[in-house]
Amino acid sequence: MSNEDRISNWQLIKNGIFKENTIFRLVISLCPSIAVTNSVKNGFLLGVAVLFVQTMVNTTVAIFRKFIHPKIRIPIFMLIISGWVTVVDMVMAAYARAAYKEIGLYIQIIVAFASILARAEMFASKNRVCNAFFDGLGSGLGFLLALVLISFFRELLGRGSLWGFHIVQAKPMLIFILPAGGFLAVGLLMAFFNWIDMRFYGGKGAGGASGH
Amino acid sequence: MTAKDIFKITANLVVIYVVGGLLLAFVYAKTSPIIFLKNKQEKEEALQKMMPNADKKGIIKLGDWYPHDKDAEYFVAKKDGKIIGYIVQTFAKGYSSYINILFSVGTDFRVKKIDILHSAETPGLGDEITLPYFKKRFRGKDLAHLKVVKKPSKEYIEAVTGATISSRAVTEDGVRKGLEFLIKALKKREVKHEQ
Repeated sequence: MSNEDRISNWQLIKNGIFKENTIFRLVISLCPSIAVTNSVKNGFLLGVAVLFVQTMVNTTVAIFRKFIHPKIRIPIFMLIISGWVTVVDMVMAAYARAAYKEIGLYIQIIVAFASILARAEMFASKNRVCNAFFDGLGSGLGFLLALVLISFFRELLGRGSLWGFHIVQAKPMLIFILPAGGFLAVGLLMAFFNWIDMRFYGGKGAGGASGH
Repeated sequence: MTAKDIFKITANLVVIYVVGGLLLAFVYAKTSPIIFLKNKQEKEEALQKMMPNADKKGIIKLGDWYPHDKDAEYFVAKKDGKIIGYIVQTFAKGYSSYINILFSVGTDFRVKKIDILHSAETPGLGDEITLPYFKKRFRGKDLAHLKVVKKPSKEYIEAVTGATISSRAVTEDGVRKGLEFLIKALKKREVKHEQ
């Protein structure tokens, strides 16, 4: 691998985490960001599952990209996604029982996550296998970090605990653990990142408008 | 669309189905025996936890029953051939989910232990029914005392603050109905045996 390639791979990962962060920048797949972030553990576990699915789907799509007929590319992507999600589901059910009990319900729903289809369509179907792999890694990591960050605030404020361990013996703001609090947490964090983007980098905020 | 397109689309789908099918079949073959074994193990462990005194193979299924049209089972627990209690699985209609409950009673039909196998009650409020402090409140209660009250009480079951519906579901719809069923079912069996 040449030096140039290495830099661009690193940039692809960084791009997925910051500039094109699924939740805070592209504002897609907000459903899981509210549904599973009521504890850090759930957020982290689902993030790891999504990271794996995203990377594998991107790689598979990139391998087959010249072979797939453009007319049926979306159904083919869906088949690839559901295949990998089923693999994760079965492997988790067999080897990670405790985690599967917590988030088993949400694993199958990964099939419908917009972020995975979006990366496959926007990036993997147009780029080399190696690049697609790192792009999947990057956007998966971005998603994972976003979920952990949201659930960090929600669990701390709503339950007074982190990863199930009590930090304070009280529930400072119970609303944050309820669905309504999910919207609040995502909104406030997004506003915060928008502010950083606009204040320090001269961007235009979330929603795909922040082209640097 | 030309004949070439049709051919290519067909080939696309065939390849994806075959490759995907083989991959899934391979993973399924590897994982399904483990999943089956672990499910069985976990069930046995959950039952053993309900009745720690019972013999290793002393928990025997008595039959099925259908609370809220769902499949549930009930068991008898034996030690050295003597019956020391019963274990009942039941479902209760909670605030936002059906709560899957397992509880054990002694031969005097007082509750020994309860456990929540699955629930999806409101996080932070209703899901406190799964915590030990609430489950402990059931110890030693009989049919007449399986009742929810909103103030501190040793005699009855004190509701979880802010989650009266969930508490009531576990206590009255779940454990009490399960216990009523168990007593009835055991009487039926006795009559059958006498005949």
